[in-house]
Amino acid sequence: MPKDLYAFKDDLRNRKVFVCFNGPLSQDMMVELGNVLKRKMKSEQAGRSKVVSVFSMLVEQAQNIIRYSAEKVPGSPTGKDAGELSMGTVMIGREDDGRYFVLCGNMIESGQVGPLREKLTRLRNMNRDELKKYYKEQRRKKPDAGSKGAGLGFIDMAKRADRPIAFDFRKTGGNFYFFSIKTVI
Amino acid sequence: MDDFKIEAGKYVPGICFDSKNNIFDIKGDSYPENTTELYTPVFVWLEAYLGSLEKNMEIMFNMELRYFNSSSSQVLTNFFGIMEEYACNGMKVIINWIYDKENEIALEHGEDFQEDAEALVFNLVQKDSNA
Repeated sequence: MPKDLYAFKDDLRNRKVFVCFNGPLSQDMMVELGNVLKRKMKSEQAGRSKVVSVFSMLVEQAQNIIRYSAEKVPGSPTGKDAGELSMGTVMIGREDDGRYFVLCGNMIESGQVGPLREKLTRLRNMNRDELKKYYKEQRRKKPDAGSKGAGLGFIDMAKRADRPIAFDFRKTGGNFYFFSIKTVI
Repeated sequence: MDDFKIEAGKYVPGICFDSKNNIFDIKGDSYPENTTELYTPVFVWLEAYLGSLEKNMEIMFNMELRYFNSSSSQVLTNFFGIMEEYACNGMKVIINWIYDKENEIALEHGEDFQEDAEALVFNLVQKDSNA
């Protein structure tokens, strides 16, 4: 296993990934990943708007993992760590053309595949003006039942990204799929 | 009524409602894990306070939000909706949306909310970057 780690690291380097996290994700962990991201981008002379945009992709995607991942680590039975943690994967890197990407994944139940695919495909087919209008419409509505956030995250990402959102569903064991989503900015 | 205060944190904006002068400051980042939990008490206080005011009072909000997530954006929409109603009923509601000149996204958000403002006085206020 120690030998394999280099091959893994080298693979990440080839894919221009500079942040890679896999495991139980918490809000505080996400904040720290965000801090590292901001520092890295500043050292690369990225403008402030760019930094805010990439950071916002990280927040929306990581908070989706925290809220919706079907793979959980139970919290301790008592005390302040009683809340469960959500398992997920977060990668941030550069495209060949220099743009940044945020790629995240988590397990979901099979029943969610259809609605997610429909939602994301719909967004892929909208242009910027349509996305802006749709975002405003949805923002005025009360959140969907079962939504712990505003349900606006995907629309916000689609509106801000330079390319349509890319996504994939991979069937794993049992009744579960691995859902991955990538935004480029 | 007592003033209302929330200390700024990593992902929670500082909120300070000065009920003597009717000047309310909101400043920082907003991307908590659970926006409802954070903002429900703010709305409860605000509605009780606004209900206790004379109808034609002037009230000012200085809002300097550098970054907020999509669920906070929905909270803001809800907030402006409430203030719009008070403004329609005769209250003078002034929103100063303060943004850093290098943060175009904060400006865009401000313009977006300004577009929807009707009875509210919605000012976009640029400030110099504090590098």
